[in-house]
Amino acid sequence: MSEPPREPVRYVEATVHLPYHYVAGDSRARYLHALKDKKILGSRCSRTGKVFVPPLIASPESFAPAEDLVEVADRGIVTTFCIVRIPVMGRNVELPYVAASVALDGAAISIFALIQECKPEDVRMGMRVEAVWKPDGERQGDHEDILHFRPTGEPDEPLASFINRL
Amino acid sequence: MPAPMRLDVVSEFPYKHSTGEVIGRFLAGLKEQKKIWGQRVAGQGVVVPPLGYSEVDASAGGEWVEVRPTGTVTAVAVVREPIANLHPADRPFAFVLVKLDGADTALAHVVTDDLDTLRVGARVEAVWAAERTGTIRDIECFRVL
Repeated sequence: MSEPPREPVRYVEATVHLPYHYVAGDSRARYLHALKDKKILGSRCSRTGKVFVPPLIASPESFAPAEDLVEVADRGIVTTFCIVRIPVMGRNVELPYVAASVALDGAAISIFALIQECKPEDVRMGMRVEAVWKPDGERQGDHEDILHFRPTGEPDEPLASFINRL
Repeated sequence: MPAPMRLDVVSEFPYKHSTGEVIGRFLAGLKEQKKIWGQRVAGQGVVVPPLGYSEVDASAGGEWVEVRPTGTVTAVAVVREPIANLHPADRPFAFVLVKLDGADTALAHVVTDDLDTLRVGARVEAVWAAERTGTIRDIECFRVL
């Protein structure tokens, strides 16, 4: 035979495998432990007073230490969001679902959150939401202790109140 | 201070690379014929693995040419401490470039044995995998002759 097969191999599989050993430092460990008590901790910038959630040991903005841990609310504002319609491997949330940034009351920046218990098309920037926690006794001190966020039914917040907290 | 918290996490990205017509047929040759094919391309001679165009003058196509499973090593990089699930072997091995007999370019592959005698200029031969699936590892490795 003077040439290779007419029918080509169509693709090759190449799985990138990245094993991480993640160690939570002091402030992140405190943050995770606090989730067991249904508390969300942030750290307060010693210069600007801004509160970062999860806690950072220094402000990425002012570079000043942010060592004081403070509790923020388990409720806040949807600052921006995305409706997910494509399945992601390893995530068993029914489609479509809403992935959102939520600025918790008292926090200067948003956390990443799943919004449930409402229709995706009803989610809006400025919508008030609250955390739905795993039942007592089941919380492990990890990010899954908050199952998701759901609308509170309160009036929406104006854009100006969260435009700098995305 | 709370006790350190540690979490072991494995991220996997399952890529499927589309091979295209030319590399697809090159791989089909490995899998179905146990043959290594190159293409004779303007200005470059016989290119293995084939690209389907000339890197010299960008002209398309090329005549398919079978090359030998033996060749000469043109470059060696020994990996003494392989990383699991990243490197192509779980014991010391070498990345090599092999200019196969009949080819004018070198193919990147691995040598897993006789690393002490492996050097640029060494003669090597393709070792075929027991099960061929249509990847470059249908050639399991090259062995030093």
